[in-house]
Amino acid sequence: MSLLAISEIVTGYGPTIVNRNVSLTLAQGEIVTILGPNGAGKSTLLKAIAGLVRPRAGSISFDGADVTGLPADIMARRGVVLVPEGRKIFVDMTVEENLRLGAYSRKDPDAVEADFATMLAFFPILATKRRDKGGSLSGGQQQLLAIARGLMTRPRVLLLDEPSLGLSPLLVKEIKAIILDIGERFGASVLLVEQNAGLALAVAARGYLMQNGRIVVSGPIAELRDMSLMRDLYLGGVAQAAS
Amino acid sequence: MRAVDIFIQQILNGLSIASVITLIAVGVTLIFGLTGIINFAHGEFLMIGGIVTWLAVSAGLGFPLAAVLAILAVGLMGYILERGIFRFTLERPTNGFIVSLGLIVVLQHVVVLFWNPNQKSIPRPLTTVWEVGGVRIASVRVMVILITVAVVALSFRMITASRYGRALRASVEDRDTAALMGIPVRRYITGVFVLGSALAGLGGALLIALFPITPFTGGTMVMKGFAVALIGGLGNIYGAVAAGLILGIVEGFSAGYGFSQWTDAYSFVLMILVLLFRPHGLFGGTSGPRMAS
Repeated sequence: MSLLAISEIVTGYGPTIVNRNVSLTLAQGEIVTILGPNGAGKSTLLKAIAGLVRPRAGSISFDGADVTGLPADIMARRGVVLVPEGRKIFVDMTVEENLRLGAYSRKDPDAVEADFATMLAFFPILATKRRDKGGSLSGGQQQLLAIARGLMTRPRVLLLDEPSLGLSPLLVKEIKAIILDIGERFGASVLLVEQNAGLALAVAARGYLMQNGRIVVSGPIAELRDMSLMRDLYLGGVAQAAS
Repeated sequence: MRAVDIFIQQILNGLSIASVITLIAVGVTLIFGLTGIINFAHGEFLMIGGIVTWLAVSAGLGFPLAAVLAILAVGLMGYILERGIFRFTLERPTNGFIVSLGLIVVLQHVVVLFWNPNQKSIPRPLTTVWEVGGVRIASVRVMVILITVAVVALSFRMITASRYGRALRASVEDRDTAALMGIPVRRYITGVFVLGSALAGLGGALLIALFPITPFTGGTMVMKGFAVALIGGLGNIYGAVAAGLILGIVEGFSAGYGFSQWTDAYSFVLMILVLLFRPHGLFGGTSGPRMAS
C-alpha cells in the first residue's frame, strides 16, 4: 500500500483552476518526481499536499488516514513536510534557530538534540555558519539549510519544490547526493518537483509528467527518459530555450 | 530650584507617561507584525483597563489587585474580539483596521452608557514624594516606570529566548513557512491579541494611577502609541520600546525648558521627521505578514 495517495485532486486560486483531477502515489522509501514546465501546477500540487492550499475536490490519504484539507501545521506534525520553492529561510533568524524551528512540534528533546548534531555533521557548512543569520547565507547554503530544517521535523514524506533552482552545477550535484541519501539516513520518502530534468531523472525511480495542471504521462524513470513525448513537451523546450 | 533639578524631574515625568504609551505601542506593533492589522481600538483597550481599575478600587480593592483585574479583563476582551471578529479579517488586514475604527465608537459608548462620560480618578496608589538633593521624585511615577521596564524586559526574554518566542518571530517573518514547521500560527495570532490587550490593560491601570481618565482618553493615547510604533518601525517591538524611551526624554526635556504646551505635538513631529528620512522607522519594521501566494 502506498504511504501517500492523491486521488483526483482539483486546486485553484479564485476563479483560476490550477490542477485538474491529479492522482499520484508514493510508497514507503520511494523517490518520485513530478516534472513539467514552468506554470504546469507542480508547486500548487505540493502546497495542496502540505496543507497550504485547500483542495477543491479529490482526496489525499497518508498512512491509511484521510488527511484531505488538513492545515499545514497538522500535516507537518503528521510527517508530511514541504521544503518550499525559493527556500523560504527565516532570514532574520540564525541557522541554529532555523534548524530548531523545524523541530517545533516534536516532543522528544533528546532525539531532537541528536538530530541537530546529525544535521551539523551531515551539512558541515551549517555548523560553520551556526550563529549567522539565515539571510547572510548564499543561495546554495540556504537550500541546504531548508532541506536540513525540513529533516529536523522527522518527516515520513519530504516534499521538495525545485531544490536546484538557481544553483551552480556543482551544488546541484551535492543536492543530488543528499536526496539519494534521505531515504536511507532519515527514513523519509521523497516527492521531488523539478524543472531540472537532469537532477530528477538521476535520483527518482518513478516520475509523473505534468502539463497544464494535469498528469499527462507517468511511469518508471527509464521509460520517461526515452519517451519522445517527454522530449517534445519538456526536454525539447529546455533545449530550445538554451540554444 | 536649580535648572538641573527641574530637568531630572521632567525627564521622570516624561518617562512615566512614555511608559504607558510604550505599552500601547508594543501591543500595536506585535499585532501588526503578525496579522498586518493596525488596531486603532487599542487605545480603548487601555481606557477600559483604566475603567476596570477605577471600578475595582472604588469597590474597595487595593491598587495591585485592581491592576491585575484590569490585565485579566482586557486580556479576555482581546481574546473574545480576536475569536469573534478579527480572525475573520486575517486574509484582508485592511478590513481589520476598519473594524477597529468601528470598535472605538462602540467601546467608548458602552463605557459612557454604563458609567457616564465624566472624569474618573482613583487615589494615588503611592503618595510618597522623595526629596533627593532638591529633586522631588513622586514614587508613583517611579512605580509606573519600573513596572513597565519589568514587563517589557520579561516580554523580551520570552520573545528572544523561549521556544514560543522563536515560533512567534518565525510567524512574524513568514506565516506560511512557519505553518510548514508545524507551528499553529492561528493560535499564536490569538495569543498575540491576548498579550497585546493585557499590556493595554496594564497601561490603563498605570495611566489612572497617574491621571484621571475619561471614556475618550483612548484616542490621544493610541495616536501617540501608533506614532511611537511607527518611529520604531512598525512590527519591531525593540524599536517600539526604544522609540518610547526617546519620546519620554524629548517630552520631559521640552517640558523642563518651558515648551510644555507643545508636549502633545512632539510624538507626531518626531514621527513625521523619522518617516521622511527613514520610511521603515528608526530600527526597521516589517511589511506585515506575507500572504499565501
